[in-house]
Amino acid sequence: MSLSNLVDDWSKYRKGREEGGYHDYEHMWGMSIDLNKCIGCNACSVACYAENNLAVVGKEKFEKGQGMHWLRIERYWDEPDLGEERTAEFQQHGASFLPMMCQQCNAATCEPVCPVAATYHTPDGLNAQVYNRCIGSRYCSNNCPYRLRYFNFWSFYEDSWPAPLNMQLNPDITVRDKGVMEKCTFCVQRIRTVKDKARMEDRKVRDGEVQTACSQTCPTGAIEFGDMLGMYDPETGVAETRVTKMWRKHQVELGKTKQNKQTPDMRGYRVFEFLNTDPCVMYLDRVREV
Amino acid sequence: MKKCRILGLFGNFDDAFAAIGDFKNHKVDGITVDDVTFLSPIEHPDIDDVLGPRPSVIPKVTLCGASFGITFGFLFLASAQSNFLIQPQGGKAIVPLPSNIVLTYEMMILFSVIFTVIAFLVTTRLFRKRKSLYSEHISNDQVAIEFEVDEKYIDQIKAVFKDNHSVEIREEVQS
Amino acid sequence: MQNNEVYKDINEDLKWTQINKDILQSMENPRKGYWISVAVCLFLIMFAVVGEIYQYQIGMGVANLNWPHMWDLYIATFIFWIGMSHAGTLLSAILHIMNADWRKPIYRFAEAMTTFSLMTAGLFPMIHLGRLWNMYWVLPYLTDRGIWPNFRSPLVWDAFAISTYLTSSALFLFIGMIPDLAICRDNARGWRKKLYTALSLGWRGDDRQWRNFRRTYLIMACFLIPLAVSVHSIVSSDFAMSIMPGWSVTSFPPYFVAGALYSGCAAIITLFILLRYYFRWEEYMTIAILEKTCKLTFAIAMVWTYLNLIEFASVWYGHSAADKEVLLAKFSGPYAPFFWGMIFCGSIVPFVLAFEKWRRHLPTMMVVSILLNLGMWLERWMIVTPTLSLSYHPIAHDVMWPSWVQWFIVAGSFGWFGLLFLVFVKVFPSVSMYECKEMVLHRRELANKEISPVMANGPGGGAPAPGVANKSPGVEGS
Repeated sequence: MSLSNLVDDWSKYRKGREEGGYHDYEHMWGMSIDLNKCIGCNACSVACYAENNLAVVGKEKFEKGQGMHWLRIERYWDEPDLGEERTAEFQQHGASFLPMMCQQCNAATCEPVCPVAATYHTPDGLNAQVYNRCIGSRYCSNNCPYRLRYFNFWSFYEDSWPAPLNMQLNPDITVRDKGVMEKCTFCVQRIRTVKDKARMEDRKVRDGEVQTACSQTCPTGAIEFGDMLGMYDPETGVAETRVTKMWRKHQVELGKTKQNKQTPDMRGYRVFEFLNTDPCVMYLDRVREV
Repeated sequence: MKKCRILGLFGNFDDAFAAIGDFKNHKVDGITVDDVTFLSPIEHPDIDDVLGPRPSVIPKVTLCGASFGITFGFLFLASAQSNFLIQPQGGKAIVPLPSNIVLTYEMMILFSVIFTVIAFLVTTRLFRKRKSLYSEHISNDQVAIEFEVDEKYIDQIKAVFKDNHSVEIREEVQS
Repeated sequence: MQNNEVYKDINEDLKWTQINKDILQSMENPRKGYWISVAVCLFLIMFAVVGEIYQYQIGMGVANLNWPHMWDLYIATFIFWIGMSHAGTLLSAILHIMNADWRKPIYRFAEAMTTFSLMTAGLFPMIHLGRLWNMYWVLPYLTDRGIWPNFRSPLVWDAFAISTYLTSSALFLFIGMIPDLAICRDNARGWRKKLYTALSLGWRGDDRQWRNFRRTYLIMACFLIPLAVSVHSIVSSDFAMSIMPGWSVTSFPPYFVAGALYSGCAAIITLFILLRYYFRWEEYMTIAILEKTCKLTFAIAMVWTYLNLIEFASVWYGHSAADKEVLLAKFSGPYAPFFWGMIFCGSIVPFVLAFEKWRRHLPTMMVVSILLNLGMWLERWMIVTPTLSLSYHPIAHDVMWPSWVQWFIVAGSFGWFGLLFLVFVKVFPSVSMYECKEMVLHRRELANKEISPVMANGPGGGAPAPGVANKSPGVEGS
């Protein structure tokens, strides 16, 4: 039994939540998504499909709601309904796009409800899903306020990649069978590869070295990914990471349910922050003409 | 001295209680009301008055079970939770008291019930081989008084039974 | 006949020999109606098995489950069965402590109903899992991986609570039955005699046994009441501990417990009427007892209605937009017909129970009790699905209807429960003989009558010992 483990964990936990920083965490992977730049092209979603062996479920199953898009582009109309009278032919202001993937919440609501502890929090600040342990009770998905967890309702691998499409599968990641829950992992396979390489070369992970599939593919650069603990280091002269800069600029902090903003120019917000989930993804509000 | 068992069947509670009253009044020297074993199809509400108070150890065993349940339950849960190398916390504590209270409560009840049942089976001597002096009428509508005493008291006991209109008397000599 | 005489809880001139005879005859070789009921139950179970095998092989998608409707009828029916199990506890334990002796003829089958509903409910957490073959991971056992279940999860609390409740209820049922099994043993032949001899554990009926029995029974009743309350509170915390609008409601634990008592009482009325008709137990399952059960059901129905209204009120007072949306969707959304059906069956139909004329009319009570249970089942469904069809995030608005697999499995659960209950009534005494005798004794004392006329020394009393002169029919073995 590890009483020392308990004591260790306890002191870590108390520091983390109270002081708003995660000093003992090696990394805290986070994202900043600029909705001004997002054009809703769905390239990030397709890249996610390719990178993570996501099954293309087909039109019928997708309509039934059994799709497996870990990263989905949500489309919102400012005028949702053109109305019976149809005063205009199409919406005047167009659509807003919101790319949503697992927010890797620091106080994840999905973690404590899994009966077999198949989802946990890594020291990297990621919420990890253990496919092997999952028995498919689906409580985690029900408890996710963003509804970002997807369940394998069928054995998709049987007919999603008929030969030779199966050659396209990413060998760094598994193909999931029916009955397990899955979700965005911030391309943890890429993170691990880069970390291993950095450790072998006896250095720290550099900013921009890890790119998730979605941030790599985005044509407008709307998605920024990086280590939020990458502060400016005066001794070595290493600059802060882009993501840390974005969060700092827009005055969004971890560990808070309501941000203290000085000016309304600070466009950064987190989705459903008031639910105290403490997500690691920040969105920059779209600016429209008034 | 040879031990002898005798069973007197009665058709209703009044006759049987009258017989016990006789034994209380020392109609038979050397036999007291504490030697009486009273068999019946139900438990009569006045039985404690007639036979005198007799102790039962079961409530104490239940208390043991409850305390065991609470301590074992909580310690087991806390050690299992702190044993995890990576914690599915959701921002909550490692050993969360609210969750553990629920499970500790369940464990308390489970062990109380189990301990009580075991105590019941032991104190009622249920699993032992049933003594042969028994009549099917006892489970139907007759009551009985049983003694296990020295041979010399048997005839006197029989006399008391007959005085109180016993329906049947059975006896058995233990070798 | 005057009203007072007909509507007694039990006829206090009932001879004890007669009690034995009447109850033991229920365990004789069954008639045709019984075999037909068994066949119907087996048929329903077969439906469920077909559905489950299909789902096991192909995946949960065949149940029409989707994102966001991750839970549906399986969880609703699970809670329904757990709820129904509270009736036995109510009758056996709560009314026992309150010395309400009118429960005595009817609590045995209610306790059996508790145990079997729990056995039925226990199937559903397994059926609804995506990887059912790994379900034992929820239990805490020592593994070489050193991993334990997540004790923070309400689903693990469910596992613990339901196993505790099932164990305790089964033990309570069995221990309460020991004196009756002794009666069966004394009157049986063949394979039944061996069975009852083994099960009655050598019960003689001596004062030491009765004294310890009374203590044990009272202690177990005292523990079973908080256990029942906590079990259904824990089951409600599957919802209450989550974050979803419409689920994260603090009043869920008492609301669920009230609903459980409600559906349990309704099921008691149903089974009461069936057993009374089938075994001709008019002397034991009297109209007076039925009336008392109906009044109790009515009271619980009003409690449930109140807690329902409180839930609406708390949504109205709070300013959570998501909660309000879920409530309005229940009233007027795609699931509204079922919601209003639940309100009708759960809050309006029970008013029939307020009228004496209807309470004494058995066909009406049969229909009413089935409607009440239907209302409770709809309530469970209406808790699960509207929240999932809305939730916080607008992208997850979706309407889904269950597929044939879900309906088959739900139907099969009723068949499984029915089968267990049918086996029980033929092998075990479903009315507690010794308690009926106690009830007669007590009622005679209240009426200032002597006990001896109903015992052996009464007029015409004292049947000869079986085996000596074969006047009374014993219980036949095969």
